[in-house]
Amino acid sequence: MADAAAARAATIPRETGAVLLALDGVVAGYGGPAVLKGVSLAVGRGRLVTVVGPNGHGKSTLLRTISGLTRRTAGTITVAGRPTAGLSASAVARLGVAHVPQGDMLFPEMSVGENLMMGAYLERDERATARRLDEVFALLPKLADRRRQIASSLSGGERRMVGIGRGLMMGAEIMLIDEPSLGLAPLVIEQIYEVIATLKASGRTILLVEENPARVADIADAMHLLDDGEIVWSGPPAELLAREELMSTYLGG
Amino acid sequence: MMPEAAASPLPVRRRNTAARADLAVAFVLIAAAVALPFLVDSRYVLGQVVLALFYATVATQWNLLFGFAGVFSLAQMAVFAFGGYATAMLCFYFGWSVWGAIPVAAVATAAASLVVGLACLRLTGVYVALLTLAIAQVMYVLIVTDTECFVMVGSTCRQFTGGAVGFARFGDFGMRALLKGQWLVGNYAIVAAVFAVTTFITYLVVKSPVGLAFRALKDNPACAVARGVNRFTAQLAVFGVSAFFTGLAGGVYAAHFQAIGPGVLSLSQLLFIVAIAVVGGVGQFWGPIVGTIVLVAADEAMREAGEFRTLGLGIIIAASMVLMPNGLVGRFHDLARFLAARRAPAAPPAVSPAE
Amino acid sequence: MASVVVAVLVAGLTSGAIYALATVGLSLVWGSMGMLNMAHAALLALGGYAAFTAVTTLGLPPVVGFVAAFAAGAAAGALLYVSIVRPLLRSAPAAFETNVLIATVGAGIALENAILMTYGGQPLKQPVAAAGAFAFEAGTIPVQNVVIVTVAVVLMVATALLLGRTKMGRAIRATAQNREAAELMGVPVGRVYLQVLMLSGMLAGVCGVLVSAITQLTPPLGNDPMLKAFIMCVVAGLGNLPGAIAASFGLAVIEAFVQYAAGARWGFPVLLFIVIAVLVWRPSGLFGRAQIRRV
Repeated sequence: MADAAAARAATIPRETGAVLLALDGVVAGYGGPAVLKGVSLAVGRGRLVTVVGPNGHGKSTLLRTISGLTRRTAGTITVAGRPTAGLSASAVARLGVAHVPQGDMLFPEMSVGENLMMGAYLERDERATARRLDEVFALLPKLADRRRQIASSLSGGERRMVGIGRGLMMGAEIMLIDEPSLGLAPLVIEQIYEVIATLKASGRTILLVEENPARVADIADAMHLLDDGEIVWSGPPAELLAREELMSTYLGG
Repeated sequence: MMPEAAASPLPVRRRNTAARADLAVAFVLIAAAVALPFLVDSRYVLGQVVLALFYATVATQWNLLFGFAGVFSLAQMAVFAFGGYATAMLCFYFGWSVWGAIPVAAVATAAASLVVGLACLRLTGVYVALLTLAIAQVMYVLIVTDTECFVMVGSTCRQFTGGAVGFARFGDFGMRALLKGQWLVGNYAIVAAVFAVTTFITYLVVKSPVGLAFRALKDNPACAVARGVNRFTAQLAVFGVSAFFTGLAGGVYAAHFQAIGPGVLSLSQLLFIVAIAVVGGVGQFWGPIVGTIVLVAADEAMREAGEFRTLGLGIIIAASMVLMPNGLVGRFHDLARFLAARRAPAAPPAVSPAE
Repeated sequence: MASVVVAVLVAGLTSGAIYALATVGLSLVWGSMGMLNMAHAALLALGGYAAFTAVTTLGLPPVVGFVAAFAAGAAAGALLYVSIVRPLLRSAPAAFETNVLIATVGAGIALENAILMTYGGQPLKQPVAAAGAFAFEAGTIPVQNVVIVTVAVVLMVATALLLGRTKMGRAIRATAQNREAAELMGVPVGRVYLQVLMLSGMLAGVCGVLVSAITQLTPPLGNDPMLKAFIMCVVAGLGNLPGAIAASFGLAVIEAFVQYAAGARWGFPVLLFIVIAVLVWRPSGLFGRAQIRRV
């Protein structure tokens, strides 16, 4: 047992730069059997690390556990060196974690503008907030047009953008993005990933979860394959795509 | 990877143990009930036990409705009163004997409740609570403010609903004629029998497919609905059944005390029932009975306290809910589980199959 | 004839204003916490008696009476959060909705009876009241009623501004619309709940002063308005604030006419009948949307 763990640890690519987010042996679930069964990974500053794998195997749970929405039962999570043990989700947010959740979770009766402003809830400096808002509108011009529109009336792609914009408004060190392509048309997915690529290029630290590795292969620095709550493979994205047996076993070809 | 716990016999064994435990408790209760009149000399104590039996019956029905079927009705006492009033009015206006009036009143109560249920049960949880509370309030107010003379009895004015005074002396079980001085024992036997039968049938409902359907709804609503469980019809059925038995109890109550008035509809009566269920454990089958014993005993003890009674009741309800959300029976089960786990330390902390 | 219509309208609009104020407090708590606060009625009584104590017992000016009602309500709201809401959220979050209803029923009864034991059950006169009337051609309007409607409207507008324009208000709305998302944004949800309960308590306290000014100051004074306010929230769709306010005024006027035409005892039954009829037709309420509630 210990050998397998050590062997697995050896395959986790060492993160370059300062490690902003580290997980060690994290176990978590929703009260019944564990969904995450001992996950360890690290994200270095300015890197885009992705976790891929079949649905229902714990990818969303992983991000929820990091951001504090789901309680972990074992293991440690550190954000910029600070452990998140016992912290509520709002406290983890204050440590500098922006979680863009699956399904957007927008505030349905608020406008686009208000949703974005909620992202800046923790920011006390009004000028900093205004500056961030301008940056978000520059990156996502469609949002500027729809500023006063009520969130529940937006299209899927627009909602996704509001979710990302809202996460950006938090001005956090680390962004967690959960399946940005979920439920969107291919063209819209391309636009979303263009935005994410821009974020990466500007030096943001991102942990991204996606079902299909091909989509993120270009921009990801490292990739982990999560299957049945455990990381079964880690390495450069190109390698995963090249390994036929991994692709077919875990990702249905 | 840990070896998965095989489909262990534990669940089956636990189920049988549970059934045997229920049977044992039932046996003890029946034995105690039968022995009581021989052990107790005081008419007062026996009278209080009869009253407690009424509380236990109504609380069990409320628990069935809310704890098992998830219908949060605050009209339980209104249903009880409906049965009592129907019985009294059938006897008073039509000269029926209580033996005939009570079953008919129970059926009428069930019918009226089904009408209310049709209107309210499509709504969820707390909406039902509000509406049923409002209906009970309306019923109380309409009765108490009824001042129009409907019939003249001698020289006094009688309202249709009995008004604030209510109905009295419309008939009884005939135990006085039969047993003379020991009539209370006769009534006690009737009330105890009613309690036993309604509790038994409630048990059957809980263990029946309907009861299982409700557990499924509670554990995983989406899955249950996908498998064809219709929450509305199931809840309506339980609403009707519980109303029948509550109305029955109301009729028996009226016949036993030979009186019925708007007092039964008062909020403090409802509160007592809710307190019993909460302290005993909502959703636990034996909860209401445990709760009745505890609270009737506490009430007796607080008899001297006078005004503190309602205050105390309020505090008991709030504190029980916060400190013991699953009631005394729930705590008991927690303790039993804790002890069982300690007795089997070798077993891996296995995935417990959904029971 | 006109004077009768005016009198009934005045009565209806006055009770409407009171119910509306009560619905704001209830709706706020329901919308953001999924909690039906059955202790709300006792909070109304608490406010009324707090004003009485301040003005009659302590001889302070009437304005202080209002302040006392605010303060008492806010304190009671905070106490509710600490002693009931927070423990229940921690111990049994899945059954929170029903557990908290039962617990607040108990708390409400306890508070009402504590007031009963402190002040006695005999009706007292609410000192924070206004005398006199405005005379028109069509009829007279008591000053009291105008004050009540004015105070209620001012408070409702203030609450709307608080919710719509302030950071605290936005956090409350965010928590109500999606609690988890609000947490992810760093909103301290526990503190939001405390604020909501205190705010709702303050509104209830003042509402109690208004109710007792127009009726009498007795411990159960809040039961009737609370039940009616709840019903009005339900008919509008729980959580829909503007709808609840509109429903309050509308139904109150109808109630007033029914009471005039058929007698006081028929007001509530007719109201209830209308509400049930509406709910049979539209189970989510007149303006409500079927919401997926998560705690």
